Amino acid sequence: MNRFREKALIGVSWACGIILSGIFFFLVAYLARQGAGVIDLKLVFGETPPLEALLLRQRVFDGLFPAMVGTFLLVCLSIVLAVPLGVATGIYMAEYAGARVKDLFNLVFDVLAGIPSILVGLFGFALAIFLHKHFSNRIQPCLLISALALAFLVLPYIIRTTQAALEGIPGETRLTALALGATKPQNLFHVLIPQSLSGMLSGLILAIGRCAEDTAVIMLTGVVVSAGVPTSLLGPYEALPFYIYYISSQYAGPEELLRGYGASLILLLLCTTLFFAAFLIKKRLTYLALYRP
Amino acid sequence: MNDEQAKIKVTGLDFFYRDRHVLKDLNVRFERNAITALVGPSGTGKSTFLYTLNRLWENIPGARMRGTVEIILGGLWRDIYAGGYPVTELRRRVGLVFQTPNPLPMSIRKNVAFPLKLAGNRDRRLLQDRIEQALQAAYLWDEVKDRLDDDARTLSGGQQQRLCIARALVLEPEVLLMDEPTSSLDAAATEIIETLLVALKRRFTVLVVSHYLDQVRRVADAVVTFPDGTVVSNSTEPR
Repeated sequence: MNRFREKALIGVSWACGIILSGIFFFLVAYLARQGAGVIDLKLVFGETPPLEALLLRQRVFDGLFPAMVGTFLLVCLSIVLAVPLGVATGIYMAEYAGARVKDLFNLVFDVLAGIPSILVGLFGFALAIFLHKHFSNRIQPCLLISALALAFLVLPYIIRTTQAALEGIPGETRLTALALGATKPQNLFHVLIPQSLSGMLSGLILAIGRCAEDTAVIMLTGVVVSAGVPTSLLGPYEALPFYIYYISSQYAGPEELLRGYGASLILLLLCTTLFFAAFLIKKRLTYLALYRP
Repeated sequence: MNDEQAKIKVTGLDFFYRDRHVLKDLNVRFERNAITALVGPSGTGKSTFLYTLNRLWENIPGARMRGTVEIILGGLWRDIYAGGYPVTELRRRVGLVFQTPNPLPMSIRKNVAFPLKLAGNRDRRLLQDRIEQALQAAYLWDEVKDRLDDDARTLSGGQQQRLCIARALVLEPEVLLMDEPTSSLDAAATEIIETLLVALKRRFTVLVVSHYLDQVRRVADAVVTFPDGTVVSNSTEPR
């Protein structure tokens, strides 16, 4: 490649990076401009005293608090369900699967990653009906079914990023602990997994983002407009993405639409908090595994 | 070389990587407490041969071998492929230092303590003593004694390689395998490692892959040429 082409390639790459970053900052700035003005205690708690709402003594009827709690629980529950299975499968794929099994499963997980979320929602709905019919009539579309469906939706991301992080470790590093007398599980837990935590974190962040934003799945599996703070895994719940969808399609005036922007900004802050928590957990785990004296 | 002088006996060794026949009917012996240099063109199986002495090749997909490898371990001749001798124990007795310095992403102290912890040693006092001894044996103690909890990757290339040597020495192996240990180092770091090698042979049997004939002349007691495994005595001069 001659010098001019190389410079052109670098220039195009820079331009793409700047354009994407620009779009991101524009979106965030637009959202902040529209939503920041309406974010106050009234938006979150409505007419209910905040302390009473936080202590769950009084129900919030016209604020976002139930939807915030619902989203937080939904994301946490989905991640708790998806991460152990996803990480274990990723480890199996990277470290133990034979070539033919790996090819087959890679194809399956790629297809799974491409399934439209509405189909996963439909699957969750069918599961709820099946369980209602055959196990207990208490089971209906609920927080648990939504979390199961979302966990299923994000599994391929967690599996593939775990697998890629492990497979990306250089060959000599992979052999280092084995050459020092480590067994394969010791190598996995003392060297390979601690070194892959950053890669695994990328999958976790993708999964958190997807769980927090997906509306199609939860619409079919348990979310409702008004349910209050969820008190049971088997009950309906409220969630911010559904609130945003609902208000943006049904708003009666500009003020109501602005509440949608406020909810969007709160959802973004909630996701950022969860990303930051995931980052801190990863940092702490890395320290405990690798650097603690 | 008779059986009393020998530390390692390799008989009829064939090694295959996928469809490639890398080592063909190799028969060679290695003297104890000596430095033997493995030399030959690239791709003739020198590094692969090292991996057959601690069975590390078994972790490389597509590799297979046949033949016999016997090593004196704990005062007895052991056929390392006959079964009965645990592979983890073998790798603790036959240490390996890779071509590229590869400290693990942890502190200097944890890097050296790592193999001991894998072997089940948890006594902090014992660990501290063994860490100090290994770092001193690798000529690194004076340079790192005040920064043992720093990330090992902040050391220079030469220091990192000596750390890797210390990490292999901490288990007090009987055989030390070194795969081009100075290939990525500058002249000053190379000189330190060469001096270290000569000092180490008093305690260990050392096999070192090298592409540098000057280095072979300086440090080796014997030379094995690859791919055929011919043994050449290097020099009678004392080192």
